[in-house]
Amino acid sequence: MMTDATRMPPLVIRGLGAVSAAGWSVDEMVAAVSERRTIPASVVPRADGTRDWDATAKLVPPAPPGLLPKHPRLRRASPVTRFMVAAAREALKGVEFDPQRLGILVVMTNACVQFTSRFYNEVIHTPALASPLLFPETVFNAPASHLATLIGASGPVSTLIGESNLIAEALRLGGLWLQNGLVDHCLVIGAEEADALALEAMTYYHKRLVGGEGAGALLLSLDGEGPRIAAVHGPFSYANRAQRRSALQHMAAQVAAGQTLVDRAVGIDRLDRDERLAFSSLAFQTQHHPLEILGECMGAASALQLVLAARLTQHCTVSLPGTGSAAFAVEVAAGGR
Amino acid sequence: MLRCPPQADSQPPQIVVTGVGLVSALGMGWKDHEQAFRDQRTGFGPVSRFDVRERTAHTAALVDLPDDRLFHTLSARTEARVDHGTRMLLLAVREAMTQAALPSSDPVQAMIIGTSAAAMQHGESYSRTLLTSPRRVRGQTTCVEHYQPQTQMRTLADELGWQGQVMLVSNACASGANAVGTGLELLRSGRAQCVITGGYDAITELVFAGFDALRALAPSGLPRPFDAERDGLALGEGAGVLVLETSAHAHARGATPIALLGGYHTATDLHHLTQPDPAGAAAVRTMTRACEMAGLTPEEVDYINSHGTGTPFNDAAESAAIATWAGDAVSRVPVSSTKSAMGHLLGGAGAVEAGICVLSLAGQWLPASLNIRTPDPAARFDLVQKFRPARVRSALTNSFGFGGTNASLVFRSV
Repeated sequence: MMTDATRMPPLVIRGLGAVSAAGWSVDEMVAAVSERRTIPASVVPRADGTRDWDATAKLVPPAPPGLLPKHPRLRRASPVTRFMVAAAREALKGVEFDPQRLGILVVMTNACVQFTSRFYNEVIHTPALASPLLFPETVFNAPASHLATLIGASGPVSTLIGESNLIAEALRLGGLWLQNGLVDHCLVIGAEEADALALEAMTYYHKRLVGGEGAGALLLSLDGEGPRIAAVHGPFSYANRAQRRSALQHMAAQVAAGQTLVDRAVGIDRLDRDERLAFSSLAFQTQHHPLEILGECMGAASALQLVLAARLTQHCTVSLPGTGSAAFAVEVAAGGR
Repeated sequence: MLRCPPQADSQPPQIVVTGVGLVSALGMGWKDHEQAFRDQRTGFGPVSRFDVRERTAHTAALVDLPDDRLFHTLSARTEARVDHGTRMLLLAVREAMTQAALPSSDPVQAMIIGTSAAAMQHGESYSRTLLTSPRRVRGQTTCVEHYQPQTQMRTLADELGWQGQVMLVSNACASGANAVGTGLELLRSGRAQCVITGGYDAITELVFAGFDALRALAPSGLPRPFDAERDGLALGEGAGVLVLETSAHAHARGATPIALLGGYHTATDLHHLTQPDPAGAAAVRTMTRACEMAGLTPEEVDYINSHGTGTPFNDAAESAAIATWAGDAVSRVPVSSTKSAMGHLLGGAGAVEAGICVLSLAGQWLPASLNIRTPDPAARFDLVQKFRPARVRSALTNSFGFGGTNASLVFRSV
């Protein structure tokens, strides 16, 4: 969606939630990134068969007992649903809201990839016995449906798929829902789960690329107190590597040098170089590279970057360079009205 | 077809449809579809794209695309990597842009497209190859790259010369309607003046097997929406695209509005992941609010293109919802399901059916619900069983998806 950033209403971030390899809370994620902790990566084996190379990921640890609600929808749900539910509940904690006036926007790249690969394996190997329980959970919007049910959100609930930086579009769409009076609050969530199939795919981009998983949630409204989404710049479109380099330069030119940059570096020079060069002429007091700590968690990554930026007390620029079609930058202003 | 005057700034702008593009098993484009509805033709045939021998159902409404090059500006190599769904979408976009007299994509400020399976064809290919070898396989990088729907949409945008990111909405079978509705919201807010919206889906093995595993596919191979003995849906594939503009924008560039997009509402049914609330409460809400936005009462709705999948649960819930929404007027509201002819297009359904509403308004006719032997007594509305000329000033279309996403769109004549 291509819109004019200056016409977007100011969005107040009323709540934050995060699930990541660092743990099941924003505090744990922020501490791990700020302190540059080393989180070990695990080799994720194929469910069926073997392979002669490693596909690794920094996996979310088991959920603390009692954190997730006991609800029939969660019994069969995929890990990505559980990550999303936990992040959403953390973001909603302490905020008064009317569930019927709450919108939910979910962004994902791979979505329920564990159940999808399991189901497709069954389709190939035992076609007559492919599980009817698995298939509905493979649908992109199944996690959003489960979350809506748990919260009782019967208003607009939508899932956007595609680029890892799609959350920039979701912020704009959430702003539109709020501006048009469809909802009073809007949860914007990015979530992803790791799976051998997806992690192997990632290694085709770079053999040393380490995957991740988790969810980041931001509760938005037009009023109240908290950090603000000050601007969403982009899309800066590109179709190939050379155009991407140029698009990233344009993106960086839109933001002012300032206090903090939360970038998308994964710690591999070939993948990080264009973004690093784009911002090289701008001076930032601090730079954070959350994906170097948490792993490349695609749809969840941008959400976690934004959650980190919103939790820091400075004005932050969040770089969302994308990989396939467009770049965005989001400016998050420190708290207050 | 009249030209609409520009609107005053204080009110939300009036939104007009200036172009429609349709691709389904019934044909390529507006004319093919109108003729198919007039002829009461269906598009179902045996599935040969993948193995269905162990499936309950063996038919679907598949689209055979022309053998010619579809992409005119991109290389043959690039085109070869485009999946079937995106090819159908390209044809629908082209038809819509031609009808809207848009020689280029320059005036288009957003592209919002619904899909439920995206480029699953490439995902399946990647998975099958992966299972055959413990080693890294040449060609998988391309497969991974082009499985990602944003890559497919980038290719489409490049072909159209459009700079921007295509927003992909994936709310199962309501994806297309939600995409069109999001376009409407964007235009009404004043943030854009011209958008391309729509939806598409291609049938793939995983999707076919999934619906078959759920026993949602009609063993007979023929869907009978609103029939008392309906036994399931039949899958279809295709794409539907609408060019939406503010009437002021259309007026300024001399475009001819075909219809008004007057109302949209979406709500979530929390009943069950795959089964609708039997009372259709969320559907009642979407129909009511969409009509309120369009300034219509149920009595003033001249046609409903129903979600009407042909599954026992869906049609019962939708019948109940229409009865509640229409009240005493229910018996006078004409309703049909065009899925009876073209199958269930999943993420494309809502957009294609929105396009059919526009055709109906422009042509002053109603498409039929085919294959009915004994109407379900629960369907208390005027079930249109034969193509009929009619005075159509307004048309509503419903889309209900897995996960409980409900959406209604309301179109009016210009």
